[in-house]
Amino acid sequence: MALNVLIVDDSGVMRKTVLRTLKMCGIPLGIVTQAGNGKEALEVLDENWVDLALVDINMPVMNGLEFIEAARQRPDTADLLFIVISTEGSQTRIQQLQDMGVEFIHKPFKPETVRQKISALTGVDDGQSESGELAVQHGDLDF
Amino acid sequence: MDKANLESLLYSTAILTFEDLGFLLPDDTVSEEQAAAPLCASARIRFHGPTEGWLCIRLYGNFLPEVTANMLGEDEVPSMEDQADALGELSNVICGNLLPAVAGLEAVYNLDAPDVQVGGGVPPAPEMPLASSCVVGIDDGRVELDVHDVAMAST
Repeated sequence: MALNVLIVDDSGVMRKTVLRTLKMCGIPLGIVTQAGNGKEALEVLDENWVDLALVDINMPVMNGLEFIEAARQRPDTADLLFIVISTEGSQTRIQQLQDMGVEFIHKPFKPETVRQKISALTGVDDGQSESGELAVQHGDLDF
Repeated sequence: MDKANLESLLYSTAILTFEDLGFLLPDDTVSEEQAAAPLCASARIRFHGPTEGWLCIRLYGNFLPEVTANMLGEDEVPSMEDQADALGELSNVICGNLLPAVAGLEAVYNLDAPDVQVGGGVPPAPEMPLASSCVVGIDDGRVELDVHDVAMAST
């Protein structure tokens, strides 16, 4: 099964770093979409089927937690899987995320960590995508 | 925490970040060439929480394009916008990892968006006591890091 992944981060460089890591860790990818904040991410969800969202916390306009809560209130995305990728070091906040059923990856991260977390959350293990290639969509390059 | 421990944490956090995120191996010492390299970019982040302060980073030399390209996984010379973005992320990761290492895992901090400047002169230091600083040799230059924090400076 190839995963459709949404990467949400206000840093374009970090979005590309996450995408690069996804490619390196061998998780089978379907369509990869991107957004620069939570509001844009909700707009991406309006137009695309997404299996997994990789979300930063600190973002302008709408932060990562607000986005997760908003997405979970929508019937069509209530079961969307989330992994927060952040520099957050407070165990208090990380526990809050885990209590919400959200996985957490700490920056800086290694491809092995990303692969393990995604596999554990989705049940999808590393392998080749059915097409053998990645289909990457950029919702808006001006993020 | 004493200044020696704070400096050690600052140094090790910077090393880890440049290795894992920037794919560059920092040097154990700063060479004469690295020490003479000119300033190329700077960034500073204000943090709020159990203590209040700033993390300031200054890059000397010509390795910011290389770090940025490494983060992007691209061979082309990155744009100035991407270089500024990359330095902001590096600063954010260093600050985000340093604070819980200093204040403990239960401490909750909020970070402002990084203020990044590519080129130009040495930016003015925040009007707050210097708690710790360190220098890391990287590629043809160096990175200077300062932590300004009233509470940390008084320990």
